[in-house]
Amino acid sequence: MNRPIRMALTKGRLEKDTVGLLEKMGFDCTAVHEKGRKLILPVPDGNLEVVLAKANDVITYVEHGVCDMGVVGKDTIMEMKGKFFELVDLGFGRCKFALASKKGYDFYSGYGIKTIATKYPNVARSFFEKKGMDTEIIKIEGSVELAPLLELADGIVDIVETGTTLKENGLEVIEDVAPVSARLIANTVSLKMRHAEIDRLIKLIEENL
Amino acid sequence: MKNYDLITPEGTKDYLFGECIVRRNIEDSLMALFKSCGYSEIITPGLEFYDVFNLNSRYFPQEDLYKLTDSKGRLLVMRPDTTMPIARVVATRLRDAILPLKLCYGQTVYRTEAALKGRSDEIVQAGIELIGSQMKMADLEVVSTAVEALRSTGMEFSLEIGHIGIFKELVGRLEVSDRVKENIRKLIETKNFPALNDLLDSLGTSHITNALKKLPALFGGDEVFEKAEELMPDENIKRILDELRELYTDTAEICGGEGNITVDLGLVNKTDYYTGFIIKGYLQGHGEEVLSGGRYDKLISEFGYDIPAVGFAVNVNAVAKVIEKYGVIPAMPRPDAIVFAAEGCEVAAIKAARELREQGLIVENALFDDIESVRAYAMDNKIPKVVVIDGEEDREVIE
Repeated sequence: MNRPIRMALTKGRLEKDTVGLLEKMGFDCTAVHEKGRKLILPVPDGNLEVVLAKANDVITYVEHGVCDMGVVGKDTIMEMKGKFFELVDLGFGRCKFALASKKGYDFYSGYGIKTIATKYPNVARSFFEKKGMDTEIIKIEGSVELAPLLELADGIVDIVETGTTLKENGLEVIEDVAPVSARLIANTVSLKMRHAEIDRLIKLIEENL
Repeated sequence: MKNYDLITPEGTKDYLFGECIVRRNIEDSLMALFKSCGYSEIITPGLEFYDVFNLNSRYFPQEDLYKLTDSKGRLLVMRPDTTMPIARVVATRLRDAILPLKLCYGQTVYRTEAALKGRSDEIVQAGIELIGSQMKMADLEVVSTAVEALRSTGMEFSLEIGHIGIFKELVGRLEVSDRVKENIRKLIETKNFPALNDLLDSLGTSHITNALKKLPALFGGDEVFEKAEELMPDENIKRILDELRELYTDTAEICGGEGNITVDLGLVNKTDYYTGFIIKGYLQGHGEEVLSGGRYDKLISEFGYDIPAVGFAVNVNAVAKVIEKYGVIPAMPRPDAIVFAAEGCEVAAIKAARELREQGLIVENALFDDIESVRAYAMDNKIPKVVVIDGEEDREVIE
């Protein structure tokens, strides 16, 4: 059962940086660039296989050990939790979780329960739990910024990169919740059972950050 | 109204035929192994009072338990673990028993796992508890039995040894709140180097923080001890390290190259529960440990009987999954013969079948009106022999 080390990469926002890192490490990523519709992509010179998946699925695959390693944002890790090793802060994909609401709105005033719209209910819940604040959390799938504008919510907890989207919609950051960046994660058993191979990869990654 | 009469609850499933054979085989061989080492089986109730699992040293989050109430309104749980019920039994009915006690069990435990994660809420655990001995030999017996348990699966395995004392001693020397200690533990457990470094840097630089930073990286083989030796600030911790090294070297020698024996000083799960060495067992092809255990000298004292203990449990369902995927699945036992009764010969047929069974054969009664259907059925089910009882002499048909 000696398949290559399988690494799950998050599609989209982190994909370019991750592939760039692999190339910098000296891996030939032609198959990844010309992926077409294939889902498991060989990296020929590295005893390495790349799987492209949605962020949440990266964690699921790594937790189950069907992928040995993964690259995923801290945002997804904070929301999903789960059992894996979080080995390296890769430094790219940097942004933050923040609480935002309409410009000029005094969020912490009054005793009424605040309504929060978010794509990340667990992150929002634990943020307000730490403050001892009861809130009503509403899960939104698309542009969370809409919720306060439509007056569904008093505020949002969301990822903020540059803040442009917030500004354009008349919203502003009230408080930072947590910094976010891409992380290298590994399955707890793979790291032990294939220690030498994974260790070599981690060293190579750290050298090329 | 929505009816749930055709499905099983989330996290449970029916086990059919081959799945049962694989699972029972594992259970049987583990229990046979434990019994051959002098362990006696105990069975504890599937329902226990919630209080049994709500201890200082071992805390099950409420949301992980299946709860119900008894007729007096008291809170019950479906047993989420067997070690604590055993501790309860030892501290009560077995209080006057001769020590050491060697107990084994194979039973189902229930925990609510997150939905839609492919995990099971109902798993069979088979394990041992060795109670009342603090000897080095007790540790070695349990660890080597764990190795035997992994070996009996026939799959490629790895056993990992750690020691909670190293972490406890180190973190005990930091003057920080329990919450910070728990944060450090979590970060070591998840080998989260970046966050661990940040947190420890904020506490200043010392031998202690330096050693804690390295702890999660200290896993692998013999070389780990060399590296760890230099990091440990004093004799107390070095003594624990030496103890662990001895256990590791002895276990490796007992295995003689079979399986992979490793060490991880970053094994820091369930810190309040374990007091000494910790083990985890892995099978190639399964993403989580299939065996876990260690020394827990303070647990039973919470039931009012201060006595040391050590043990481990195997997740039988996880082992079964690996064997079903990569191993050799034992063949289904098939009937050796089928007995067909001609009209009026039913009693004679039942008797004939019973005689054949007494010879050790698996024998079915035919439940068809005519011999042709019996033949077809025997053919489909690969039953080699059809015995026809028609009041005259036995006729045997070989298919």
